[in-house]
Amino acid sequence: MERPRTPPEQYGTSVTRPPDFDAFWQEVWDEASRIPLEPRVEPVPLRSNEHVATYEGSYTSLNRVRIATWYCVPRRPGPHPAVIYLPGYISEPPLQKGREWAARGYACCVVAVRGKLRSNAQFNPGYPGLLTYNIVDRYTYSYRGLYIDACRAVDFLLSRPEVDPERIAVTGSSQGGGLSIVVASMRREIKAACPGAPYLCGIRDAIQLTHTYPYEEINDYLRLYPERREQVLATVDYFDGINLAPRITCPTLVNIGGKDTICPPETGYAVFKAIGASIKELKVYPEEGHSAGAAQHEPLIIEWIARYIGSPSS
Amino acid sequence: MQKPADFDAYWERTMQELDRLPVAAELELNQLRSSPEVTIYNVRFTSIGPYRLFAYYAVPVGQGPFPVRVQIGGYQSVVTVPAGSPTGHWDGGNTARLALCYRGQRHSDKPYAAAFPGMLTDGIEDPQEYVWRGVVADCCRAVDFVCSRPEIDVSQITLTGNDLALMAAAFRSDRLAGVSAAPALFYRLEEALPRATAYPLEEFNDYLRLYPERREQVFRTLAYFEPLYFAPRVRCPVRLSGDPAWLELLRRALGNQS
Repeated sequence: MERPRTPPEQYGTSVTRPPDFDAFWQEVWDEASRIPLEPRVEPVPLRSNEHVATYEGSYTSLNRVRIATWYCVPRRPGPHPAVIYLPGYISEPPLQKGREWAARGYACCVVAVRGKLRSNAQFNPGYPGLLTYNIVDRYTYSYRGLYIDACRAVDFLLSRPEVDPERIAVTGSSQGGGLSIVVASMRREIKAACPGAPYLCGIRDAIQLTHTYPYEEINDYLRLYPERREQVLATVDYFDGINLAPRITCPTLVNIGGKDTICPPETGYAVFKAIGASIKELKVYPEEGHSAGAAQHEPLIIEWIARYIGSPSS
Repeated sequence: MQKPADFDAYWERTMQELDRLPVAAELELNQLRSSPEVTIYNVRFTSIGPYRLFAYYAVPVGQGPFPVRVQIGGYQSVVTVPAGSPTGHWDGGNTARLALCYRGQRHSDKPYAAAFPGMLTDGIEDPQEYVWRGVVADCCRAVDFVCSRPEIDVSQITLTGNDLALMAAAFRSDRLAGVSAAPALFYRLEEALPRATAYPLEEFNDYLRLYPERREQVFRTLAYFEPLYFAPRVRCPVRLSGDPAWLELLRRALGNQS
C-alpha cells in the first residue's frame, strides 16, 4: 500500500539547519586545534612494491584518539599531488585504493577513522553500533570525533615533505562519500572532491526512505526508544552533509545510483543541490544500486582530480 | 599444486579435534536488532583451539520448525546482522539465518583479532598453524549449532559463502540440504596469483614478494585448502557462482553434485 514515490530529484529534504550550527563546529575545531597532531610514519615492506612505498601513517585526533592510515607514496621524487581516500562504514580502509592512486603518481592517505581496525583501541562501538553511539548528545556523538579524524588527514599530508600542499583532493564512496563532503566543507586546502553515493546526507529523510543498514540502526534505536526521537533527529542535523555542503568551494563531482537502497538517491540529489561550489557536477547512474556505477565512474574521478589538482607529471 | 598425500588425514584430525569439543551454545536476545517479524539473538559457541565464536541468529516470528541458511561472510572484519530483502525489510520468508563471525572477525576477535589485509597469510608457513584450518572448523561448528536447535527443521539446512562454505560442506554433507559457494580465496591459486592485482589475493603476492624463498612452503600449506580437493567429499547438492569457464574444473571435480 505504498504511496507512489516522488521522483527522487524532486524529493527535496526535511533536514533543518540548527541555528547554532556554525558555533557548534567552531567549538569542535577549537578543541581539535589544541591537540597536537603527532604524525608518525612506519614503513610497511610487506605492502610495498617496486612502484609504491607503503607506510602505516598515524596521527592524533579529537579526544586524543590515535588514527591509523595506509599512506602510499610513489617511488619517484616529489613533491606529489595527494589524495585522501575515506572508507565505507563497515569495510576496512582499502589499501588497494592507496596503491592504485600511488601507482598513478599521487601520495595517497587511506584513513582508518576511529572504530576501524588499528584505530579502535580507544573507541570501538562496532557495526552496527557506530551510527547510534551517543546519538542523543551532539557533544559526545560518534561522528563528532570521526569527522575530525577524516579532516586531520589533511594535516597529516601537510606534515609530509614529499606532498605538494597546494594539490590535495579527497574521494571515497558511501561513508567515504559522506566524509569527502565533510572534509571538503571543513578544509580550504582541499582543491577537488569526488564523493560517491554519499552517506550521512539527508539522514532524517534516509531513515524514512530505506530500511537497510546502516541507516536502519537509527530505526532500530527508535523502535526501542521511541521517546527519544526528537533528541535523535536534533543531533543528526548537526552532522548532516546537507548542512555542511554549502561551505564547499572546491570543484566537486558527485556520483549516485538511481536504485541505491543503502543511500537513497533522493538524499544524493539533495546534497548535490546544497553544495556551494560553483564548479560541480552530478553523475547519476540510473540503473545502479549502492555501487553508484563505481567501475564505470572511476575514470571520471581520475580525470576530475587530474584536472583540478594537476596530473602528477605537471 | 598436488593434493597432499595426507590431505584426508589432516582434515580428519581437525574434525576429530572439533568433535571432542562441546558446542556449548549460549543465546542472548538482541532486542535492539529484533523487530515484529524477526527475533535476533547473539549466539556464542565453541570451535577448535578451543575458541569461542560469535554469530547473529535470526529466527522468524511464528511457528517453527524453520528452514535455516547458515551464512559464511566474506573476507572482511565486519559481519552484518542478517536482514531480509534487499530493501532491509524482513522479507516475510520463513527461513532462519545464522551469520557466523569466524575467528578473527569482529565479535569473534578475542583473543585473535585478524588483520585485513593480513589474515590470508597468517600462519601460512605451517599447515598445522595456518589460521584457516580453524576457520574451516568454525564453519562446520556453525552447522552443528543450528542442528542443535529445536526451532530448526534439520532437513532444510543450507550453507552459503565463498570457498569456506564448500570446504565445510565436505565435512557436513549429511546435515546439509545444499550449499551455495562462490570460490574467492583459495581456488587454483597457482594460476590465479600471477594474474591477480587486487586484494585479497594480492596478500599472497605481497607475501611471496617479501619472502620468495618460502614459495614452496606457502604452496604446500595452500594445497590443504584447494577447493578441488574437497570436492570429492561433498555429497549434497552444490550451486556454484562465478565465471563458469574458470569454475569448470571444480564443477567436474564435484561430479553430479553441482
